[in-house]
Amino acid sequence: MLLTINGREADIPDARAGDPLLWVLRETLGLTGTKFGCGQGLCGACTVHLDGAAIRSCQISAGDAAGHSIVTIEGLVGETLHPVQQAWIAESVPQCGYCQAGQIMAAVALLRETPKPDDAAIDAAMAGNLCRCGTYQRIRKAIHRAAGQPS
Amino acid sequence: MTVMSRRNLFAHAARFAAGITVFAAAPACAFSPLPALPTRSMPATEARIAWLRLLPDGRVRLLLPRQEMGQGVSVALRQIVAEELEVELERIEVVLPDTAAIAPVKSTVGSDSVKDFAEPVARAAALLREHLRHGGHAAEIIDRGQPVTLRSLQPDVAHRHVGQARPTEQIAAIVTGAPAVYAGDIRLPGMMFGLVLPAGATVAAGDDNVRLVDLPDGRRGLLSAHPGPLHARAAGIERARTPKPMPAMDVDVAQARGRLEHRLRNDSVNAAAGWTLDRRYDIPFAAHAAIEPRTAVARWRPDDPVRLEVWTGTQDAFFVRETLARQFGLSVDSVLVHSCRIGGGFGARTIVRAELEAALLAQVAGHPVKVQWTRAAEFIDGFHRPPSSHRIRARLDNDGRITDWWHGFCSGHVIFTSAAMPRWMQAVTGFVKDPGVARGAMPPYAAARMRVEFSDIRLPVDTGPWRGLGAGPNGYAIESAIDELASIAGQDPLQFRLANLDPQHGRLRACLERVAQLADWTGAKAGGTGRGIACGIYKDTSYAAVIADVTVGADGAVRVTRLYCAQDSGRIINPDQVRAQIEGNLLWGLGMVLTERLPIEDGRVAAYTFADSPIPTMDAMPAIDIALIEPPGAMPAGAGETAMVAVAAIGNAIAAATGRRLTVLPYRPA
Repeated sequence: MLLTINGREADIPDARAGDPLLWVLRETLGLTGTKFGCGQGLCGACTVHLDGAAIRSCQISAGDAAGHSIVTIEGLVGETLHPVQQAWIAESVPQCGYCQAGQIMAAVALLRETPKPDDAAIDAAMAGNLCRCGTYQRIRKAIHRAAGQPS
Repeated sequence: MTVMSRRNLFAHAARFAAGITVFAAAPACAFSPLPALPTRSMPATEARIAWLRLLPDGRVRLLLPRQEMGQGVSVALRQIVAEELEVELERIEVVLPDTAAIAPVKSTVGSDSVKDFAEPVARAAALLREHLRHGGHAAEIIDRGQPVTLRSLQPDVAHRHVGQARPTEQIAAIVTGAPAVYAGDIRLPGMMFGLVLPAGATVAAGDDNVRLVDLPDGRRGLLSAHPGPLHARAAGIERARTPKPMPAMDVDVAQARGRLEHRLRNDSVNAAAGWTLDRRYDIPFAAHAAIEPRTAVARWRPDDPVRLEVWTGTQDAFFVRETLARQFGLSVDSVLVHSCRIGGGFGARTIVRAELEAALLAQVAGHPVKVQWTRAAEFIDGFHRPPSSHRIRARLDNDGRITDWWHGFCSGHVIFTSAAMPRWMQAVTGFVKDPGVARGAMPPYAAARMRVEFSDIRLPVDTGPWRGLGAGPNGYAIESAIDELASIAGQDPLQFRLANLDPQHGRLRACLERVAQLADWTGAKAGGTGRGIACGIYKDTSYAAVIADVTVGADGAVRVTRLYCAQDSGRIINPDQVRAQIEGNLLWGLGMVLTERLPIEDGRVAAYTFADSPIPTMDAMPAIDIALIEPPGAMPAGAGETAMVAVAAIGNAIAAATGRRLTVLPYRPA
């Protein structure tokens, strides 16, 4: 079975087609940037892009993701860090950092849909991505920064 | 003897083919006289700890004597070393050491890290600096208490690094999803995936190549070559449902039975005369809810002096090593624990669970095994903030001064957690007061007579340390009562606090005055919007005052619109990390008031998902304003748990807005 991940094709054993995409990314392919937080689609730590939209990779099977373009946190970096990653560093967002790959993937998808989101739009788009350390205020600022607008 | 210029300091280092090792002196507290958990035996007598290594290429490696869970200790200690050595931050390489690399140090708890380790780390770096400057030839330097100037902690000198905002260590790895940051990122050849079934649990059969195995300790586990089928099977784990009797967490019931067990202050209060205020406050169970579930990877190496190797994010790698060694009958030297960054600690990573499970499963599997707890296990099989019940009785004189203060409370255990103690020891500790329950129970106010007493009650659901320990619940009760007393006295809640503060707490007074200025305090507004204030002292050394603004919708729903905090945690090494800690504390306070309650049914946790036991989401996060106060000459204190007093500020704001006192957490619309 072929998956398209970060612009490249990856050959996955057919036996893994029924597994959640999350586990195939992490353990079959070694892309451990995408995190396991709950496995129930309720924390957002495993957020990746499927054809540009933010999805929970614990809630879709690898087989169902075949034929779609999958982008993970590892695929955001081009010549330089993605502007959202840069904003995350500039605003010193992470504390423990465990949820932040998912937060960044959600933020990138948000900015693609809504290039200049206000706080309400940010809150609505990001409310499904939990952070226990309390970095929400910095995430908002980082999204505004990446959008090129004052926070 | 040559005295080197600063520029040549590190050119000189190249002469040392093997580098120079600095053995730092353990801080007085490194080996806690009362171990944080009673099962933890005292480390041996190694009093010297190798924390600093000058490498032949001129870089300096700091072997962290602490764990990193996002509290920012890595970067703070790195800043101190760079400051002492007068080099760029990039010159200092920070390593979370394995247990063979340094001597045992106490667990990373209680916001102790900068408070207790800034000075010994600064000394190690300063000794290295002086050694190089004077052209010393030793390959080892030992801190014997010799006099040395600690530039990084001097109050009146210009600093290059100390006092500067720097992001947390590993930030680039975190935002790019780089490998091997957290324990779950570790992948070993031949590695399998496993979970241990809770006692009494059953699991449905499956045709998925997931093996049900018996473990040497009598438990059963699941093993799979792939995590997908393993976690699918784990979703079908049926836990035992026999009801367990849950003792009442009711301070009135406890007091009716007779005296509470432990006294923190035992003045004779006049209980016969009427009270100005007689109010009860009740606080439920709450989960840590770190986003990273408990995780460990274990590998057995039969032909190696290191027999067992474990990767984990733990607040105490040495406790893990000791526990595993005891469990498997090994010497501590044949167990190696690699510390990984913790994906959220908050007190939950203080005991040994996933590490032991991974080791047991790996022994049975004959392969390395990774264990990542399910979210249901995090809620049901973990341990939690205990519920507590408080009654505060207070009397005011005609001037609005507190004359009598009587705070009686009961709580599940915190430090003497049943999650890590054998049953016989639980019985023994019934006679000893649990210092975690007691934390923050002494009010910062002057009263002629004070009685503060409590009982700890053994519960069928495991409880233990949770951010701030007793400080959150006790602070909530105390500061709610103070607010109501102010209201009864017809006084402004800020002025009432200032008038009643114990005069020795000038630093807390300064926080109150500063936060009032920051928020432009003119009193508690009412009618739809409300404003509340609260303050507190954490572990006698760190001070905070918080003001909360809330609005209440027509449906009774509360929204916290803004939080202000002034905090004095002494000398600040990295203001950005201190602010981050305060932001986190404020959100924990908000969650405690508005959101968090771990559901319990029939004496068992009844939460399987974040939907059953929610934590605050981004839309609940208010704007935050923080003022840091740094008194000249003050030493660093803990910054991570002081602003928990936000819980009472928000509760008081709700009272101001609604006229209804919040006495049962969390808030629910009437």
